[in-house]
Amino acid sequence: MARPGLSRIFASISELSTPKPSFTGFVSESTIRSASNSASRFMCSSAQQPRSSHEEKANEEKPESVKEKLEIENEEEEEDGDHVNKETGEVGGPKGPEPTRYGDWERNGRCYDF
Amino acid sequence: MAAASIAYVGGQLQYGVNFCRGQSFRQADWLPGLTVNGCLQRELSWSYGVSKFLQIHRCKFSQSPASENWKSFRTLTTSAYLRDGSTKYFDFAVIGSGIAGLRYALEVAKQGTVAVITKAEPHESNTNYAQGGVSAVLCPSDSVESHMQDTIVAGAYLCDEETVKVVCTEGPDRIRELIAMGASFDHGEDGNLHLAREGGHSHHRIVHAADMTGREIERALLEAVVNDPNIVVFKHHFAIDLLTSQDGSETVCHGVDALNTETQEVVRFISKVTLLASGGAGHIYPSTTNPLVATGDGMAMAHRAQAVISNMEFVQFHPTALADEGLPIKPKKARENAFLITEAVRGDGGILYNLSMERFMPLYDERAELAPRDVVARSIDDQLKKRNEKYVLLDISHKPREKILSHFPNIASECLRHGLDITRQPIPVVPAAHYMCGGVRAGLQGETNVRGLYVAGEVACTGLHGANRLASNSLLEALVFARRAVQPSIDHMKGSSSDLSASNMWTRPVVPKSLGTDVTNKILRATKEVRKELQSIMWKYVGIVRSTTRLQAAEQKIGELEAKWETYLFEHGWQRTMVALDACELRNLFCCAKLVVSSALARHESRGLHYTTDFPHLEESKRLPTVIFPSAHMMSTWSSRQLHQQSMY
Repeated sequence: MARPGLSRIFASISELSTPKPSFTGFVSESTIRSASNSASRFMCSSAQQPRSSHEEKANEEKPESVKEKLEIENEEEEEDGDHVNKETGEVGGPKGPEPTRYGDWERNGRCYDF
Repeated sequence: MAAASIAYVGGQLQYGVNFCRGQSFRQADWLPGLTVNGCLQRELSWSYGVSKFLQIHRCKFSQSPASENWKSFRTLTTSAYLRDGSTKYFDFAVIGSGIAGLRYALEVAKQGTVAVITKAEPHESNTNYAQGGVSAVLCPSDSVESHMQDTIVAGAYLCDEETVKVVCTEGPDRIRELIAMGASFDHGEDGNLHLAREGGHSHHRIVHAADMTGREIERALLEAVVNDPNIVVFKHHFAIDLLTSQDGSETVCHGVDALNTETQEVVRFISKVTLLASGGAGHIYPSTTNPLVATGDGMAMAHRAQAVISNMEFVQFHPTALADEGLPIKPKKARENAFLITEAVRGDGGILYNLSMERFMPLYDERAELAPRDVVARSIDDQLKKRNEKYVLLDISHKPREKILSHFPNIASECLRHGLDITRQPIPVVPAAHYMCGGVRAGLQGETNVRGLYVAGEVACTGLHGANRLASNSLLEALVFARRAVQPSIDHMKGSSSDLSASNMWTRPVVPKSLGTDVTNKILRATKEVRKELQSIMWKYVGIVRSTTRLQAAEQKIGELEAKWETYLFEHGWQRTMVALDACELRNLFCCAKLVVSSALARHESRGLHYTTDFPHLEESKRLPTVIFPSAHMMSTWSSRQLHQQSMY
């Protein structure tokens, strides 16, 4: 293993693992909605597919708040226009926490690249 | 059943199957049929060795007035096209429609006719799924040296320095060209490109398009390709084998046979130059991020065509892909490519457990879940193999529900769809194969030891990645090498004389119509099962944590499985020149699997992505690429010989 490289990677991971108030504070509910919708734009959207009876049953047992939150994400229209990331100045970029904060490239929890 | 014989690179290479007898090589190391790594004496640079090798055998082209040749050839192309639908003539044939193939096509199309041959829809490529970004030095405070250093460190010092320098130096221009072609990347408010910083990079240098960089690049390139009058895209054309001949001791490539999978017709492409840009081979494993098209077709075809293959043991896995077997409601259809759970889950406090709910990471590394990705992948693999289980658990449910849902809504909804609430239950995860660092050995111009055959992208082994790829360097490598192969290709094309009668030199593949639907269905079913079995053997015996015993077991089992499958085919009347998509893909998967196994057996050290318990440490004297030379007359399996060479044995 390339140890110097690993310690660098580890350093960046451990730095980022300390919660950064600015990032988490930035993630508002509207951000969650748009982030989820932006993700669903290009991939098979799990949130937007019609629910089968299986899922209905399973969902009944889930806590209401979980279901509600995801439903809100389904129904909200994505706002068009250029979103500007207050932290980085990036225009039209991914909303929410920095995708590379833990070393890989993630959007809403799914890793797309590393 | 050993793979082809191997020679070491560096020192004086002999062509064909003879190799560095001049070096102090232990006899045992280069018995025909053995893969070896490393000649201990000379330490010439990787690419020096390659270019030396390639220089030895450059034959002189017959010089003819280039433009005249080309013009008359163009006319001939049209009439040849009309006359004989099953043979097509092009100046350039490109196999694959990802970033490498398309980028190359657009350049060479300025000088001649181009066929882009792709096995599915043109956008079905690994490129399209490369969502992160492309790395390049685009910031004044960044430097080529820094990018180089990051690459070499990530590559565990197995990279070829010259290659790394070339790629890091030329990257920025290649990105600018992409932008000029219409690819749209994220900017900052100041109008400059927004650069992210991915793991392993010491500067911000990742160019990206929101969250779909590969898709954006693919879109821009495809649009340009479709609008180019000199480029014809043959989609749903599956490449079967390269068409090659011997010129003295040198192998020459004249084109490729393909199967139109929509019409079930064989099409022969005769071309002066061929670029292999066919991508990766993730589907040698059961769990992979790669789309279904990634079955190692190019690597297999090249190996069968006598091209040198290198570093196949370095397979990159992601440690935590969603494991469908662990979901309460299984997906109705098998997931085509893995859903990777981001490191951020671990970064935010997620804990890994085995199925006995034991937290195992502290046993492997004091950093536990925050250990580097490769360590985590290895640890998970070790647990799975020791305990003979299918997945482990990643638990974030101890964190506040709001945080989980706000940071990971994608995981939450995907799991919920399948009956799992990640705010209350752990997530089943298993490592997934992601990227092949090895492949067809390429010189600095993308040239191979087969004349007229060039490679670019994931199918190539250029020396950039070494033993482990740095994040976002793969799109970059594809861009740079696709561009570098252009001029040599054009020169080669202009210097080639066209021999139209050549098209009958090789036996044509045939579709198995004569077998009837019953038999072909039986064969299809058996083929699908054998594919799963092969993937299972690869995962079990050629996973992330390896050992000589396991690798040898893999070699044996794969050999037996292949023999069993081929016997089944031939017993049912399958002819050696017959082709069908599934059978040809499996044939390629077998070929790639064997290349990975023999490469892994040859490396007697652990480095980067290759870890073996028998040689668990880095060994400086082994810091050399693994090279596989074809051993022309040794192999008798269907997967190891070109279709048009089958009748010779």
